[in-house]
Amino acid sequence: MATVSIRGLHKRYPGGFHAVRGISLDIADGEFLVLVGPSGCGKSTSLRMVAGLEEVSEGEIRIGDRLVNDIAPGDRDIAMVFQNYALYPHLSVRDNMAFGLRMRNTPRAEIERRVSAAAAALSIESLLARRPRELSGGQRQRVALGRAIVREPAVFLFDEPLSNLDAKLRVQMRAELALLHRRLGTTVIYVTHDQVEAMTLGDRIVLMNHGVIQQIDAPLAIYRRPANRFVAAFIGSPTMNFFHGTIRDGGFVAAGGAARVPLDGVAATVPSGDAVLGIRPEDFVVGGGDEDAAAFATAEVTVAEQMGHETLAHVSIGGATSIVRVPGNRGVAPGDRLPLGVRAGAMHLFAADDEGRRLA
Amino acid sequence: MREPLRITILRHAVLLAFVAISIYPVLNVVSISLRPGDRLRSTDLAIIPADWTLASYAALFTEQPFLRWLGNSLAVSAAVTVTGVALASTAGYAFSRFRFIGRRATMLAILTTQMFPATMLLLPLYVLIARLGLVDTWLGLMIFYTATALPFCVWQMKGFYDTIPASLEEAARIDGCTRGQAFWYVVLPLATPGLVITALFSFMTAWSEYIVAAQVMQREEMFTLPLGIKGFQASLSSQWGLYAAASILVSLPVVAVFLSLSRFLVNGLTVGSVKE
Amino acid sequence: MATAVLGLAGCGSRDTRTTVTIWHQSRPTERDFLVAEIERFEADHPGVRVRPLYKETEELRAGFQAAVLAGAGPELVYGPSDVLGTFHTMGIIQDLAPWISAEERDAFVEGAITSLPATDGSGRRAVVQIGDRFGNHLALVYNRRFVTTPPLTTDDLVRIARDNTVDGDGDGRPDRYGLVWNYTEPFFGIPFLTGFGGWVFQEPESEPPRPDLDTPAMAAALGFIRDLRERHQVTPANCDYELADSLFKTGRAAMIINGDWSWSDYLANPSIDAAVAVLPTVDATGLPMRPMVAPKGYSLNANASGDQADAAMAFVRYMTSDEVQRRLLQRLRMLPARRAAWDDPLVASDPTLAASRKQIENGRLMPVAAELRAVWDGMKPAYQAVLGGTLEPAAAAARMQRDTEGFIASMHQRVEPSPLVPVLGAGIGLALFVLLVRQWRSFVALATDLRRNPTPYAFAFPAVLVIFAVIVFPFVWNLVLSLSDMSLGRFRDWRVVGLQNYAEVLADRRLWGLSGVFLKTVLWTVINVALHVTLGVILAVALHGPVRCKAIYRLLLIIPWAVPAYITALTWRGMFDYEYGAVNLILGKWLGLPAVNWLGEPLRAFEACIITNVWLGFPFMMVIALGGLQGIPEELYEAARIDRASRWQQFWHITLPLLKPVLLPAATLGAIWTFNNLNVIWLVSNGGEPQDATHILVSYVYKSVFNLYRYGYGAALSTVMFLILLAFSMVFLQRTRATESVYR
Repeated sequence: MATVSIRGLHKRYPGGFHAVRGISLDIADGEFLVLVGPSGCGKSTSLRMVAGLEEVSEGEIRIGDRLVNDIAPGDRDIAMVFQNYALYPHLSVRDNMAFGLRMRNTPRAEIERRVSAAAAALSIESLLARRPRELSGGQRQRVALGRAIVREPAVFLFDEPLSNLDAKLRVQMRAELALLHRRLGTTVIYVTHDQVEAMTLGDRIVLMNHGVIQQIDAPLAIYRRPANRFVAAFIGSPTMNFFHGTIRDGGFVAAGGAARVPLDGVAATVPSGDAVLGIRPEDFVVGGGDEDAAAFATAEVTVAEQMGHETLAHVSIGGATSIVRVPGNRGVAPGDRLPLGVRAGAMHLFAADDEGRRLA
Repeated sequence: MREPLRITILRHAVLLAFVAISIYPVLNVVSISLRPGDRLRSTDLAIIPADWTLASYAALFTEQPFLRWLGNSLAVSAAVTVTGVALASTAGYAFSRFRFIGRRATMLAILTTQMFPATMLLLPLYVLIARLGLVDTWLGLMIFYTATALPFCVWQMKGFYDTIPASLEEAARIDGCTRGQAFWYVVLPLATPGLVITALFSFMTAWSEYIVAAQVMQREEMFTLPLGIKGFQASLSSQWGLYAAASILVSLPVVAVFLSLSRFLVNGLTVGSVKE
Repeated sequence: MATAVLGLAGCGSRDTRTTVTIWHQSRPTERDFLVAEIERFEADHPGVRVRPLYKETEELRAGFQAAVLAGAGPELVYGPSDVLGTFHTMGIIQDLAPWISAEERDAFVEGAITSLPATDGSGRRAVVQIGDRFGNHLALVYNRRFVTTPPLTTDDLVRIARDNTVDGDGDGRPDRYGLVWNYTEPFFGIPFLTGFGGWVFQEPESEPPRPDLDTPAMAAALGFIRDLRERHQVTPANCDYELADSLFKTGRAAMIINGDWSWSDYLANPSIDAAVAVLPTVDATGLPMRPMVAPKGYSLNANASGDQADAAMAFVRYMTSDEVQRRLLQRLRMLPARRAAWDDPLVASDPTLAASRKQIENGRLMPVAAELRAVWDGMKPAYQAVLGGTLEPAAAAARMQRDTEGFIASMHQRVEPSPLVPVLGAGIGLALFVLLVRQWRSFVALATDLRRNPTPYAFAFPAVLVIFAVIVFPFVWNLVLSLSDMSLGRFRDWRVVGLQNYAEVLADRRLWGLSGVFLKTVLWTVINVALHVTLGVILAVALHGPVRCKAIYRLLLIIPWAVPAYITALTWRGMFDYEYGAVNLILGKWLGLPAVNWLGEPLRAFEACIITNVWLGFPFMMVIALGGLQGIPEELYEAARIDRASRWQQFWHITLPLLKPVLLPAATLGAIWTFNNLNVIWLVSNGGEPQDATHILVSYVYKSVFNLYRYGYGAALSTVMFLILLAFSMVFLQRTRATESVYR
């Protein structure tokens, strides 16, 4: 087990594409770190540099105390699970799992022991003699996991391991992965584009975009205090509602004047001028203002999605659509006009420029 | 899943029709080999002539150094197959997996070697062979055949490697393989159909060539089979019986090689390895 | 490397004897005789070893020229005299005068020793061949079961032939023809020409000889030949050598005109009762039909010298000694070259020998001039056009003359070095320099990358080295040759003359016109490759699935690839025969279609070539496609089925795109190979027949180089072909992105 430390990491491709632009982060021993971001954000490239599959253009990667920039992937004491599993099709499940150990000249008995243990842990003992093509998708996923586990590496690297599974299986495997990590306690770097996986699995989340780290923090911290508009939009489902407007006289006025809200407490720290107000769907309070919530606007429902335990109301505020989460099965129908308030302390203010830095 | 009957019928209809087309001309060759008196043509459709005889086959083994030629040909073809497969599998890998300077130019240049009409190259080739002292040597023949077979083999192997997902090698490298080991333990076994085609092609190149062989081999005891067989052909007085019988016998090793290799051609290996 | 190569080459047992190699084109029975005599000779001459090597006619000629050019080759070549003019003009054989005195020459029958004016212009005559036998003459062979007395005149011939053209079973096709011979070669038409009083060259023969084909005699001879078929209907509609031979051997022809090489086979054949007779006299002129006669003998390599030359000549002397000559007569029943053996009583007593001798005495010595080749090439298309019914005899005679004169002119074309040669050289040098400078940064980058990242280079290098080691020298040699005047007259002393060859190639209307060779080549390539790939993929898809007996199908389907093409192409030629070929028989019998004159009509002959080549090529593509199909994951089809894609859609959207990486290189190379495929055209259409209308570029090159000795022109045309293919490949590969992977 080991820490991983990344300093000033860059990746430039020969064609000129600058995929990773100077990321630095420290991963604690035993931590489950999730790299998340939209496709092309550089998360996979970063992971592959840690794995040694991509050459580092600039910067340092340390696993434990060891600088691994020029160390072959096989000697970095890591194991990796690929998005497409990458099982060796010409080898049986047993041989797939044993392959890495054989390459390291592990004694035969030891190989046998570890493979059996991993197979038991993943309940795939009955599949050991089969070839990958005779397995279902979920089984292949387990074998890929098993292949990583038997190596007992210092760091596990996961590259979108669940994205090829169907929804039900994905939920199940997600829970198993969490359990596995708790049991093994190995450091994990996990790449995904799915914010649910990021939120549920990670001790910390690293959110990346355009090759740059946007925010590093614990899942809830990121959810509660997104560092910029991009992070705010990426984390959370349904996504956060944004209102363009101006801060004036200690309050926020949406463009066109369809909504306005006082900014008690934060007004002092935020300069007047253009800004973007972000409100999560669940932070709206239907019924207007009370002691916990400030009155915001009156909105007309255009679509009502009944989920059973809640209703997602698509509402129009000054011509722009927002989503409001209405708890319980309170009847909301298209055409209804809802008075909306905002829960106190649930307002996110971002700069109106492209960067969209958090103001408060 | 079982197929609809009409598809099965269609398959067999197509296959049977082409099998008939494939073998009829060859049956004609068989027919020539059974005719006495060196008659190339017949005036009817009968495959087994009324006056059939196996004399031509007997004569091949008793009066002609057929076995000697067969041995020569087998040796040359085997050597060419081994070197061809070895060189093509490595070069094809480089062209498929690495991006290096001159890659595209070299691939194209390899193709260009096939573009010059071979007949025009014969004269300078002979000059080259003679100057290097390669007349009457196996080495000269082998180098030439390997060079002839390689462009196709390299491209073919590259095409096959292209269909093998890169993540398999990456997995292998993380599992502790060097690039070389990943190539040997993971990529090569998966490229088996490509290797088989490469092997078959290399073998055939060496097995059926006679124009260059006629330039290199000037002693009858060094002849390869096709060269020996061509000797049965003389302008206007060919020994068609021997010629046809030998041609049939020459095909048998090819059929045997194909038989032994074809099971590798039909076992899909990459299936199920990755999910794209 | 070089030492290793030389070391390997040098091993083998060392023999201190002087070795004399003979390349000969003897027929099988003659070979046995030669081997026996060599054994006797070696017993008498312990210091000499003689090594015979059989070479087929064309192979001997081309191979010998190449070998001498490379400074090597056999000491002796043995064969008919017809190539001597060429060899002599090229300067690749020696004057034998120093080895044979005037008295010795007198012991030979006239014509047995061939001499030609020396090339040094001294007016001397150089002895270029010492003959040991006569032969290659045509005569009439008849089957005594049908013909009791051979015809003495052409009227007799027609009458007997008519009586013997019989349709026994009344199916409208004769079961037996009166007379057969090889129509395709003008050589077999010569007796008719001489019978009507004509000859191929103007007489007396000038230097160089001038063709004399546009004559009334030629027109009359052609008319007579045509009448035999059209009016008298005693000969088959189409007849090449092999058909004539097989018909006569199976008793389906009463008479055949064929050469001395074939007689012993006929005489020995138990199913017929053959006898040889002198060709008849033409009634219209009263002249005998006179075939060409050629001595066969030995010539000495220009490179042979010292002991080897002496040993070689000792062997020649031995083979032309009276003793061996008599054995030749007795064993082989062939007419020897020396008077003593010629007058042996056996010649008079053996009916075949007697007829043969009479026919030789009646014959005309075959001209040895290189121009004879141009005559054959010039005569052939028009001769075949007359037989094909597309040309009147008189017009054909005129065309023969015109074509032959054209060929002779291009054969003797002298190209003077252009004053721009130094400019050209400087230009090429400059271009190379500029290229080097412009690419300099790439080279530097390559050097750095090579040091930093050597793995890919190490992987690719061995194959690349082997490929280019073989090709670079021949390639550069050809480029230089394309700028040279290498030809019949300048074979060993060629010079770089400039771009004239290219100018000529680009101005050649036969190549670039609408019905030109180039377009035909494109058509040939496109049709062939398209059919190869289509059939290959169809069969692979048919095989790739739940099929019973898959292994057997697969095996039977690769048969066309497994059996050597040099015999199957000939089989196909037989199958395309007008009257007896399987294709027409099947078309007629099963489909009720009229017979197609496959090999007699230009377009049909081209189609026949394409059909044959498609047959030869589809198994290869099938194997490639089979291999490629293995790489396509079954899930893709499952997914497609869930999407309710029809089988056709699955094929079109999954199978084909995923076969692409595997099929593309094969198709690209297939196109290149097909473009340059000489064999099929040559074997099926017998070298561009009919009327030189089936040529593609490569056979056109082959013909101009090997028949007209236009090496410079041929090299230039080859280079142009190379550039065409290069342009095609670059565009094709660019558009299909074949150098890139599908998954990237």
